[in-house]
Amino acid sequence: MSIDVAAGGPVAISLRKVSKTYPGSADAVVNELSFDIAAGEIVALVGPSGCGKTTTLKMINRLIEPTGGTIEVLGVDQNSLPAHELRRKIGYVIQQVGLFPHRTIRGNIGVVCELLGWEKRAIAERAAELVELVGLDPMLLDRYPSELSGGQQQRVGVARALAADPPILLMDEPYSAVDPIVRERLQDELLDLQHKVRKTIVFVTHDVDEAIRLGDRVAILGAGGVLAQYAAPDDLLRDPASEFVSAFLGRERGLRRLSLLSVADVELSDGPTVDIASSVGQAVATAERCGSAWVAVCDQHRLRGWISLATLKSAAPEAPLASVELLRLRSWVTPSTPLRQALDVIVTSRSRLAAVLGGNDGDTLLGFVTIDDVAGGLEA
Amino acid sequence: MIAASEPLIRWDWVRDHFDDIWQRTVEHVQLTVLSVAIGFVVSALLSAIALRYRRAYGPITWVAGVLYTIPSLALIGTLVVYFGFGNTPVVIALVSYTLLILVRNIVAAFDGVPPAVREAAIGMGYTPARRVLQVELPLALPVIVAGLRIASVTVIGLVTVAALVGSGGYGAFIDDGLNRFFPTPIIVGTTLSVLLAVVVDVMFVVMERLLSPWRRGSNPLRKVATS
Repeated sequence: MSIDVAAGGPVAISLRKVSKTYPGSADAVVNELSFDIAAGEIVALVGPSGCGKTTTLKMINRLIEPTGGTIEVLGVDQNSLPAHELRRKIGYVIQQVGLFPHRTIRGNIGVVCELLGWEKRAIAERAAELVELVGLDPMLLDRYPSELSGGQQQRVGVARALAADPPILLMDEPYSAVDPIVRERLQDELLDLQHKVRKTIVFVTHDVDEAIRLGDRVAILGAGGVLAQYAAPDDLLRDPASEFVSAFLGRERGLRRLSLLSVADVELSDGPTVDIASSVGQAVATAERCGSAWVAVCDQHRLRGWISLATLKSAAPEAPLASVELLRLRSWVTPSTPLRQALDVIVTSRSRLAAVLGGNDGDTLLGFVTIDDVAGGLEA
Repeated sequence: MIAASEPLIRWDWVRDHFDDIWQRTVEHVQLTVLSVAIGFVVSALLSAIALRYRRAYGPITWVAGVLYTIPSLALIGTLVVYFGFGNTPVVIALVSYTLLILVRNIVAAFDGVPPAVREAAIGMGYTPARRVLQVELPLALPVIVAGLRIASVTVIGLVTVAALVGSGGYGAFIDDGLNRFFPTPIIVGTTLSVLLAVVVDVMFVVMERLLSPWRRGSNPLRKVATS
């Protein structure tokens, strides 16, 4: 078993030959699992059902006791303090949220602080702070959980887990019970939140896309709880370690990688571009040289619009380009557009390329991106 | 037989017996409270055992069920043989009737705590004792109170029967009326015992409400737009 030591930064969680076998069962649920989780990273544990991903997560906060191996949390053996004290230092978010129905949102968020013996006022202040951090209306503080929607409850679940500012957050399929639209929003919010709080997050999911989207690293577990591969999402998609991993990642591996890369990651192409000061004849020449049925018209590199070759040819060659009516360009992307989305723009455009716009006002033409460029990005 | 000329209720009798009525009320309430209280303590212990050792739940409810099916008069009669007349046999009998109701409710109350809530509590670092007291008990309380309500109303009815072995309460009026073919005390005793049952029932319903403010979250005016 290879041990992939996380690049840079201190290790937050370290698993060494961790196993779990239930009494009366010959087969291990988790089998000699060893890997390190770097502080401040999101690690997604993903795999088919029965691969022991949830068991692995629950062994970190000792909801399940390993039958073999050791787990170090922040450099100390997890058994060096009582389980309940360990758990107060580790935020825990579960799929069914598990808010306390008899406590208000304020009370729910403050639960761990309460266990740690904080003063009432400090707890109330912290709750108010967190409600805003997770993007909820402070009005909700006095509500009961049953009055909130599923998405709101899950945000409270995250706020509760963060309340005592634990360095580590364990999340057990937190978003699989909410509908896809809310799920996507919650995923975005988690990434935003992670920007602000920089926790070590272990995230269990059965959804490859979710793992790739959220994880700085993804650990793929195979049947019987063995580590099949542990790598950054892009490495995983580009270079799956085994048949199993490649099958698990699915046929759309290439497309999935595209969603990780952005337009800024590829080399841009030149395209049929002319300055608005040119004549119609020059524009026709440019279009023909590029084998294009249209030209993009710029004013000092700022994109003004486009004209089709047919329109150009119906005008006098010596006429100034400014006299021809420009059309608004629809197929454009920005450097931060994910390649998967750029590909969509390209294949739905008539000319099979998308203009890349950037600059301060977002209207500077940086170049063009074609299907070949996108494919080239995958080779990089 | 009651004479045809005798009215169903003679208000002058009622007026003359206010002191008696008050005394019987006190007796009736005392017997009820004592029986339900002892029954609750015993049931709480049995429930704790059943919750801790799941296999004990079957036998415990079986015994409580058998006790519950013994006709009240027969049970009280048998106990009188051992304990003599008075309150002791009555209270023992009444306690034994509360067990099935209370044990079932207490166990169901704790079983009703959502597993996710329990898991979250453990995961956040609650110690077992604190979890039971601060998380599970508050959630179980409304269901437990509902059990106390049924047990109390049942016992109020049974206390009336217990008067036959001389334990007082409203049953004494009924007993008296039956012996003398005199309808007024029968009606007074019956009416008051029904009234007491209704009052106690309402009291417990109010208590259930007060103990679970979070359940009133169904108020549509407080619903928040989903997001």
